[in-house]
Amino acid sequence: MVRFLVSLTIALVVGLGIGLYLGWVQFPAKYTDSTADRLAQRFKDEYTVMIANGYLADGDLNGALERMRTLNVENVPAYIQDTTERYITNSSSVNDIRALVAFSSGLGRLTPIMEPYRIVSLP
Amino acid sequence: MTERMSAEAPSRYHRPRRPFSIAGILIGLALGIGGALFFAWTVAPIEESDTEPWQLNASTKDQYVVAIALNYANDNDLGTAINRLVSLQLPGDPIQAVADAACRLATTGYVNSSSGLSAVRSMMRFYQPQGRTGCADSLISLDDGQGSGVVMIDVPTPTQTLTPPPSKTPTQVAAAPTATPILVVVPTIPPQNDFDMVGVTPSCTAETSGLIVVQVYEADASTGSPGQEIRVRWDDGESRFFTGLKPEMGSGYADFEMESGKDYILDMPGHADPLSQPLSASPCNTPTGERAVISYRVVFRAIG
Repeated sequence: MVRFLVSLTIALVVGLGIGLYLGWVQFPAKYTDSTADRLAQRFKDEYTVMIANGYLADGDLNGALERMRTLNVENVPAYIQDTTERYITNSSSVNDIRALVAFSSGLGRLTPIMEPYRIVSLP
Repeated sequence: MTERMSAEAPSRYHRPRRPFSIAGILIGLALGIGGALFFAWTVAPIEESDTEPWQLNASTKDQYVVAIALNYANDNDLGTAINRLVSLQLPGDPIQAVADAACRLATTGYVNSSSGLSAVRSMMRFYQPQGRTGCADSLISLDDGQGSGVVMIDVPTPTQTLTPPPSKTPTQVAAAPTATPILVVVPTIPPQNDFDMVGVTPSCTAETSGLIVVQVYEADASTGSPGQEIRVRWDDGESRFFTGLKPEMGSGYADFEMESGKDYILDMPGHADPLSQPLSASPCNTPTGERAVISYRVVFRAIG
C-alpha cells in the first residue's frame, strides 16, 4: 500500500508538471469571439494601413475615424501618428507609409519626419 | 538438486517486487495531467495575446472585411485581399463571404451614414467582378456618381390613426341670468401644407461647405417670408431655426451647418412635409480641388 501511495504521489506531481506545460506552453487555450483591441500588434497595424488606404481612396476622414474606433484606441490621431512614425522608422513599405502619412495629415498630425512621404497633387 | 535450481533461476513464485507500483503511476499521471490541463485551460488560462483575425467576433470580422475591401479599392491587389480574407477563416468561399458581410451591413443601420454606404459599395465593387452576388446588390445601387448617397427604401405613407380630440362645446347653463349669447371661438386647423418645396440644389464650394441654405418665399416666388420655422433632424438630434435672422441675406433666408458624414431631414413643421430624401453631408472636391462638404440650397414657396 505504501508503495502504491508513493508511486501515485510521484506520478501525480510529474503529471501536474506535464499538464501545465501542455496547457500553458504547447497547447495554450485559444480565444475566439475576441474584440479588435486584442489583436496582435502586427494585425492592428495591418488594419490601420487598410483604413488609411481606404481614406486615400475615398477621402472620407470621418468614416476612417469611425472605423479606427473598432480598435478601441483612446486617441486615434495620436495613435495614427505613432504608427506612421514607427513605419517610417522601420523603413516599412513606402505605399503603406504614404497612406498612413495622408491619414495622419488629414488628422492634422503631419510631423517633419512625414514630410518626404506626403502626397502632393500638382496643379 | 532443488537448492541448485533455485540459485540458477528465481522461481515464478519468488519474483522480487518492483520498487514502484504500475497502477499507482498510471493513476497518478492521469490525475495529474488531467487536473493540470483543466487548471491551465479553464481556471487560469494564459492571458489573451497575439490574437489573430480569425479569432475575432463576427461583427469585428465584418469590420475587418470592410477594411480589406476599402484597401482593395485603393490598391486593386486582389491576391493580397484574398490572402487577408483567408486569414479570417470565414466559412466557405472567402469572396462570397464578402458578399454575405455586405448583405448583413446593408440590412442594418450601418448604411445610414454616407461612410457606411460608401464602404458597402466598396465591398460590392470587390465581389461583383468576381461573379459573386449578395442581397446588397438589390438594396443598394452601385452608382453613386451623382446620387445623393442615400438608400432608397419604399416606406408606406404613414396614415393618421389618432382620432382628433373632441372640441370644446359650450354647455348651456340652465338658469342663465342673461340671454346674452355665448360667443364660442372654434379654432380652425391651419392648413398642413401651406408651403411647397420647390427644389434642392446641391453644390460643393469651400465658402458654403456643409451648409444647408433655406430660402422661403411667398407665393409670388420673389418676396422672402421671414419668421418661418425650419426644422432639421439627424440621427440623435434636432434643431429648429427661423428665416429672416440674417436680414443681409434676405428676409426669407436661413442656414444650418451640417456635420460631415451625417444625414439630415429637413422640413417646415406644420407647413411643409419633410424632404423625401435626407440631405447627406458627404465630402466633396470643389472645382479648385479643395476638400469640402457638400452643401444644399433648399427653396420653399407658399402655396398661392
